[in-house]
Amino acid sequence: MKSTRGYDTTNLRSIRSRPRNLVLFVLTAVLALLTVSPLIWMVSGAFKAPSEVFDPSPIPASPTIANFTYVFTQVPFLRYMLNTFFVAGTVTVVALFFHSMAAYALARLNFPGRDFLFFAIFSTLLVALPVILVPLFILVREMGMINNYWGLIVPPIFNAFGIFLLRQFYLGMPKELEDAALVDGCGYWGVYWRVILPLSRPILAALAVFFFLANWNSFLWPLTITQDKSLWMIQVGIASFQGQYSGSWNYVMAAATVAAIPTVALFFVFQRQLVESIKTSGFK
Amino acid sequence: MEEKHTTLTKENGGISRRQFLARGVAFTFAAAVTGPGLTVLSSCGGGGSASGALKFWQFYALGGDVPAQSKWFEDTVDAWNKKNETQVKLEYIPVTEYLSGSKLQTAFSSGEGPDIFIISPGDFLRYYNGGVLEDLSQYMEGDARNDFYENVMTTRTVDGKFYALPMEVEPMAMYYSVKAFEDAGLSEADVPTTWEGLLDVAGKLKKGDSFGLLFDTNPGYYQNFTWYPFMWQGGSDVVAESGKESTFDSKGAIQALQFWQDAIESGVAPRKALGTGANDIVPNLAQGYCAIQNCGIWAVADMRANAPDFEYGLFKLPLPPGGRYTTDLGGWAFVANSEGKNPEEAGKFCAWALGSMSEDSIQRGVDWCTKAKSDIAPRKSVQEKAEQEGAFDSGPMEFFREEAFPGGRGEPRYTPEVYKAVSDAIQACQLDGADPGQQAEQTVQTINAFLKGYSGASLV
Amino acid sequence: MSGKPSAPVAEAEGKPRRPEEGPARRGLTRKHREWLAALCFVAPDALGLLIFLAIPMVLALALGFFDISGFGTYSFAGLTNYKRMFTDPLFLNSVRVTVTYVVLFVAGVFVVSLALALLVKQKLPFVGVLRSMFFLPHVVSLVVIGLVWQFMLIDGRGVVNQLLDVVGLGNFSWLGNPNLALFTVVAVSIWFFMGYYMVIFLAALQDIPQEYYDAARVDGAGTWATFWNVTWPLMKPTSFFVLLVSTITGVAGLQAFDLIYIMTEGGPANKTMLGIFYIYQQAFMFNDYGYAAAMASFLVLVLSAATAAMFVLTRGGRFEVD
Repeated sequence: MKSTRGYDTTNLRSIRSRPRNLVLFVLTAVLALLTVSPLIWMVSGAFKAPSEVFDPSPIPASPTIANFTYVFTQVPFLRYMLNTFFVAGTVTVVALFFHSMAAYALARLNFPGRDFLFFAIFSTLLVALPVILVPLFILVREMGMINNYWGLIVPPIFNAFGIFLLRQFYLGMPKELEDAALVDGCGYWGVYWRVILPLSRPILAALAVFFFLANWNSFLWPLTITQDKSLWMIQVGIASFQGQYSGSWNYVMAAATVAAIPTVALFFVFQRQLVESIKTSGFK
Repeated sequence: MEEKHTTLTKENGGISRRQFLARGVAFTFAAAVTGPGLTVLSSCGGGGSASGALKFWQFYALGGDVPAQSKWFEDTVDAWNKKNETQVKLEYIPVTEYLSGSKLQTAFSSGEGPDIFIISPGDFLRYYNGGVLEDLSQYMEGDARNDFYENVMTTRTVDGKFYALPMEVEPMAMYYSVKAFEDAGLSEADVPTTWEGLLDVAGKLKKGDSFGLLFDTNPGYYQNFTWYPFMWQGGSDVVAESGKESTFDSKGAIQALQFWQDAIESGVAPRKALGTGANDIVPNLAQGYCAIQNCGIWAVADMRANAPDFEYGLFKLPLPPGGRYTTDLGGWAFVANSEGKNPEEAGKFCAWALGSMSEDSIQRGVDWCTKAKSDIAPRKSVQEKAEQEGAFDSGPMEFFREEAFPGGRGEPRYTPEVYKAVSDAIQACQLDGADPGQQAEQTVQTINAFLKGYSGASLV
Repeated sequence: MSGKPSAPVAEAEGKPRRPEEGPARRGLTRKHREWLAALCFVAPDALGLLIFLAIPMVLALALGFFDISGFGTYSFAGLTNYKRMFTDPLFLNSVRVTVTYVVLFVAGVFVVSLALALLVKQKLPFVGVLRSMFFLPHVVSLVVIGLVWQFMLIDGRGVVNQLLDVVGLGNFSWLGNPNLALFTVVAVSIWFFMGYYMVIFLAALQDIPQEYYDAARVDGAGTWATFWNVTWPLMKPTSFFVLLVSTITGVAGLQAFDLIYIMTEGGPANKTMLGIFYIYQQAFMFNDYGYAAAMASFLVLVLSAATAAMFVLTRGGRFEVD
């Protein structure tokens, strides 16, 4: 957001506040470093031998990549990652599709019971997984989705958060484009496909990141629903490095480091979109 | 499904009172009709998977923490599968989920419990009272039945029948760091034999950011397990012989609670262990976090694998004044699901694997206890063979066999309610500075109230 | 659904039409087409939410009226579970713990993430990297977070205590002291979530036109006055959103549950026994689903009430922006 004055005030501002900027930068940088310090220890643990893992120093005395080799060779970790990519990716795409459709209807279309439906959807946010675990498991089993990709993909798609954010966004969008399309003879589906979707790209990008992240780190549901190791997701795989009386923490750290990389990369690449899109979702 | 968030809607607003009430009515109505619905749902589809193979749930194979242990399970199942029509299939559950997670419970609640699985004594009654344990002694020869040590089987026996077959016996003892002793000017002669002595020595060993002594502090079956022997040493017990009332408010229990409290409050023991807890020897003792650690026989294998150069010593659990030596004997056991798809074959598998007088069954036991893991055997023949092979000839294994194990008592099989009452008392005294006498009284009340309405198998 | 204006065919349809309905279609009226379209658009999600969330939830709550063994036997027990709840000292303890946790967590995460957003809104060098660093905790598995923090907080030699030793405060047992453990868990929760809410606040902050700030500066307003009179009022909807979401997360959220599960298991001495954790224990350790379901119903009720209260207090969540 730039000033709308006649001249560019950027330089003026930064000259005036340069010492202040420096102080702020140092403060922020220190806080940021403190924030990530636990994770630095995690990464350093990934490079340590088992006897060293609990050593307080963040720099391994004799760094090794043996942990990473172990994680990828002794355990089908690559398979877990591929599974998780596949599941998280599919859930994200399908969820965005369904949610944007539902949000469009809730924001733009008039139909009886709309408010009640919205309220009902809202109330599903109060549902916690540990509470519904058993009935959900029974239900899913009756539908034949145990121990296969269906069970991993279908239930996580449905979550009211995306519907809300998108509805909010659509409420804030100017109606002119849609009205024009309707007059031109586009049906509702056409409006959705040709007007709404393209305009929601930024917010869809943001939601894509959030959804992908949530599904990438998902643990309890995949654990409950799958038995075959070939179906395992990454977090379940990490948990398998813990033994009955001790944990192979060096492997856990290595696995966790590998697991964190895609999501970090994803956030870093999309962060501008993330912020931009929430901003333009009409939050105010 | 993992993250729940909502967006405020300004225009089409939140919840009106009318809608809120409407929802409440809908809920109660639904509740009235869905209770029976759940029964119907769970009863259809239970107990049958197309493949027909018996599912064996455990936390060792395939791809568990220790490759040798995983291999033992694989070899056992392969041997069975070669000679039998009914196949057995290993299914791995990550250990923390197996121990305190929801996977087993979810499976059983929906009628999909595994056909074969492993349990600890603490869990025995939960499954037995739930009616899902198959009598295994009916598949065993008389000789085999007698081959098992009696003190190991008491917690797995109901009405003279075995419902679980243990693979191992795991006594508790005290490990100490040789280097820490030397640095404090102590030697083997200073190894304590009394509680007071232990606190004293721990005081000398505590320095800087290291502690002298480590007891478990996390609430859980394991903490209870490690604490019980200190109570037993003073002649007390949680539940009386009759199994009908609690005798917890007696000297043995109260002084044991006091002892653990003293260890923390005097500063010689930490309030939190490293790694997975006080059962984890490498992050605690081997890393110098503590100088003495209350741990079990499994730590021997753990040290061998993960801290082979660390020098440690062992001594028996010390005693209170006038106390009698005992220790706690843990160990996991195979069980068969009597509500599974083929309880007979499942039972036969367990009996064949661990409870037969055949040479391979005995050798299997030896391999588990001495090669895959470090344990005492639950059967006389297996123990003898292991000793013949020299596994207990020297070092830590000899110590456990000769000194720690004799006089040991099996981990009790209390129900979760009794477990929790005792756990609360231990936690309150150890970490919250509560008065042991008062806590013991409260515990007795809680347990007695529970026992009044209890109608399952005996707790003792 | 392609609409082409056609000549009025009132006689053919046999019923009078109002003028504002526009040209008639064969079959459905425009209003009905809208309904049909809405139905098709909403159906997948509505159905999915119904099947996978609503129905299991209703079932789970219904179980509160039963006595369940966990091995397949259900027997109707009326209000027994509910009565037991209110005389169960552990349940009452968990209510206390949950309320404390939620209050501290919500307040804490709000202040911290808003402060961070204000910081990273500035034009600082490498601000993109800095923002990513604040968000990083949120990206890592909770299993690892629990373990790493446990290590850092350990009595005596943990990094945190070693740093605090410098100022003489290093003697505390952050996870083992019953009086400190809950605060520690709150702190770790805040650390985990602050980047997430920071992003949300940041977006809202960046939306405030620079003119407002320039006008304030011209008027001679200092930093605090600017914040209070310009920033804060314009942030109200977002603030409400963050409050609402963090409350729900604190009470019913899986993350709070996971942290407790890994770091304290409800201890020491039951002092971190959140409601959702006690429910889980009753269901899966004690096999008492009926009791767990009854408590879950209570939790949902309280959460709904709290949410409703928040909406009412903010007059339906509407905010006049002047």
